[in-house]
Amino acid sequence: MKNVVLTGIGGQGTVLAAKILAQAAQARGWHVRTAETIGMAQRGGSVTSHVRMGDGGETVASPLVPTGSADMLIAFEPGEAARVLPLLSPEGVLITASSVKQPVSASLSKIVYAAQPIIEALQKREGRTIVVDEQPLLKLVGNAKALNIVLLTVAVCQTNAQGEPLLGITVDELKEAIAACVKPKFVDMNLAAVDAVRKQLNL
Amino acid sequence: MTKKLLMGNEAFAHAALEAGVRVVAGYPGTPSSELIETVAGCVQAGSAKDVHVEWSTNEKAALELLAGASYSGARTLFTCKQVGLNVASDPLMSLNYVGVEGGCVVYVADDPGPISSQTEQDTRRFAAFAKIPVFDPADVEQGVAMMPAAFALSERYRTPVIMRPTTRVCHSSAFVDVADETKAASAKGFQKDDSRWVIFPARAYRGHNEINDRLAKVAKEFSGLLVDEAPSGQSSENLARFNPVENRGENPKLGIVCGGVSTAYAREALAALARAGELPAYRFMQVGTPFPFPEDLANEFVCGLEKIIVFEELDHVLEDELVRLAGLRAARGASAPRVLGRASGDCRAAGENTVEDIAARLAQFFDVKYVKPAVDSAESIGADLPVRPPVLCAGCPHRGAFYACKRALKKMHARATFSGDIGCYTLGNAKPLDAVDTCLCMGAGITMAQGLGVVSPGVKQLAFVGDSTFFASGITGVANAVYNQHDITVCVLDNSTTAMTGGQPHPGTGATLMGPKSKPLSIERVLRALDVECIQFANPHDLEQSMAAVEKAVSFVGPSAVIFRAPCVNLVKPEAPVSIDAETCTGCKKCIMSIGCPAVGFNGQTATIDATLCTGCGLCTQVCPFNSIAKNVGEGAR
Repeated sequence: MKNVVLTGIGGQGTVLAAKILAQAAQARGWHVRTAETIGMAQRGGSVTSHVRMGDGGETVASPLVPTGSADMLIAFEPGEAARVLPLLSPEGVLITASSVKQPVSASLSKIVYAAQPIIEALQKREGRTIVVDEQPLLKLVGNAKALNIVLLTVAVCQTNAQGEPLLGITVDELKEAIAACVKPKFVDMNLAAVDAVRKQLNL
Repeated sequence: MTKKLLMGNEAFAHAALEAGVRVVAGYPGTPSSELIETVAGCVQAGSAKDVHVEWSTNEKAALELLAGASYSGARTLFTCKQVGLNVASDPLMSLNYVGVEGGCVVYVADDPGPISSQTEQDTRRFAAFAKIPVFDPADVEQGVAMMPAAFALSERYRTPVIMRPTTRVCHSSAFVDVADETKAASAKGFQKDDSRWVIFPARAYRGHNEINDRLAKVAKEFSGLLVDEAPSGQSSENLARFNPVENRGENPKLGIVCGGVSTAYAREALAALARAGELPAYRFMQVGTPFPFPEDLANEFVCGLEKIIVFEELDHVLEDELVRLAGLRAARGASAPRVLGRASGDCRAAGENTVEDIAARLAQFFDVKYVKPAVDSAESIGADLPVRPPVLCAGCPHRGAFYACKRALKKMHARATFSGDIGCYTLGNAKPLDAVDTCLCMGAGITMAQGLGVVSPGVKQLAFVGDSTFFASGITGVANAVYNQHDITVCVLDNSTTAMTGGQPHPGTGATLMGPKSKPLSIERVLRALDVECIQFANPHDLEQSMAAVEKAVSFVGPSAVIFRAPCVNLVKPEAPVSIDAETCTGCKKCIMSIGCPAVGFNGQTATIDATLCTGCGLCTQVCPFNSIAKNVGEGAR
């Protein structure tokens, strides 16, 4: 079983990213279940999407990733990564965007909520932590809303000690899934974004 | 057939269409709303033929409409969230006594947690109270299989049937085969029959006996036993497939009973425990049809068991049934297991179940070791995080309305209570707006304000209500205020949509799910017709105008209203983001402390604007004492 948790702030695009992963897994013939945060939290609150893939041919029972069971956590905001860390296996891979989004609660308080201390704390984990400097990449792909594609590209390019894709999904399979999930007029732009990110990060 | 990744609500919509549903109606509410939206999508795309679908004014209206359609022989589907059933409970209770003709499925989404609701009420309990059979799917696929069975059962026994999934089933997705085209089953039309369709005490007495008789038979079907003829003359169906039982090991003495998504959690917990070490023999049962309880099947299940643990969410419905069964068995001298669950204090009494919690409890139940997974957390890595609760969106017109009310009352040196209601605007409760003092249920703000005013006549009473909520359940409260002469000010936050649940249309928008637009109902004309004499209007993004409107309405003696009108940010293109003049910004934080917009941050010296969030509404420019925030011309990025 491969468990992936995506986290961010309502409106950042975790739902589509989860859909794309599920689509790629389904295309491989795996049983898939996903779960979403829908409702009040979508109004700028913390949201998580769960994607569970039966890569060993097994059927997925629960739609939610149990505590400590995620193989990968994809965070659209570093503070949100820290918030849902208990879902990630200590050996699991964390991929996080690097810019913080100020919640109103932080602006109201005297404490400044900054990215650096959070990222330094995240890097203390035992498992692999990849911090994606997403701003230049988003500029490069020319779409401020492409964070989900940027992070997914980094995610599928992660390999294990044997050099195999960690999620068991190749870049080409990711592209096919993107083409199947996004509106036709945005397909080319998103596929170009995958290539641009790979080239820029040497993935 | 096409395989699609579908959320439970979407999959159940397709299942209902494939089962020939003809009329679908409901009122939006998380976690139920996507079902009707999916049906509407299929109707609008032309793939679902002969189907009528609508967002009704409220749940009561929807269910009564469907009762008429069902009497006429059409298959009907009602949808709401758990508290919506409270609103529809009047027609539901009587409808069960009258009975139905076309299959009538009442889809009620429960919300353990609760995640987006006011209560943790359990619709299985409501089903038992209303004496209506209920299906409780454990996952998307099972719910898809239950939908046609529910329609068939409804027609076989002429009873409404409830289907009640919970949030994690409604909002989880799996790949499901859906038909490319569906056609509603034909309906023969209403046949006059006063012995059936007109409820009178004598009819209700007969109806009660019919209910008792059919529930006994339905319980047999749920246990997999064939019964002699159903009222419709159709033969019975073996529905025990929704109550699967499995044995692990020889002669089990331990039993596990699950309902809903807890079934999946328990299966995962059992797998995890089995990986860690050998487990004693056990018997496992999911109860997918909790009412009428499949007693025959459960009686077989408990044979030889000494102890049973029950995992279910919300209420202890299955646990109570098993305790009752154990009592009956003990009374006739048969073996009676001990039953553990929420009521006995052996399982979580409120909130959601989790795999980890169930694993820990099962380990204790089995007397095996369970090692909690060691995990990292924000605390363990030393990350200091601010909380991130949901907030009103940047540019949300409600922000200006609340702020203007607060400022106006302060200017008037008046004490006031702000009664809130259900919708995005409940979020006006958060600091710094802090503008919602009460929130109870749909439409309650207007009427609660009247009660608050009776007890505290010197305190100004403001009631906030959204446009959709106004039509759903606000109008009777206004009539009450006029009739009983309550001095309240109703602030209608008209953003032209049902925003919290994802932007559904309502009578005030005129948009319908069938396509043709109807004439929008006018809130001010409704208020005038109800004889509200003082009605003020304001654009909530204009602080001065809004404050003046509030002052006038609040000063008026008797029921008054302010209609704050500006569209939800999700309906319109944003304007260019505002900009901060770092030279003149003193860092006083007045903007942040006054209105709490998520687009306005603070970098330690000056305020900052998140251009990806700012919609250019300009409220902050009217709050800044140093004119350091400027509106800009052009389009926004959001």
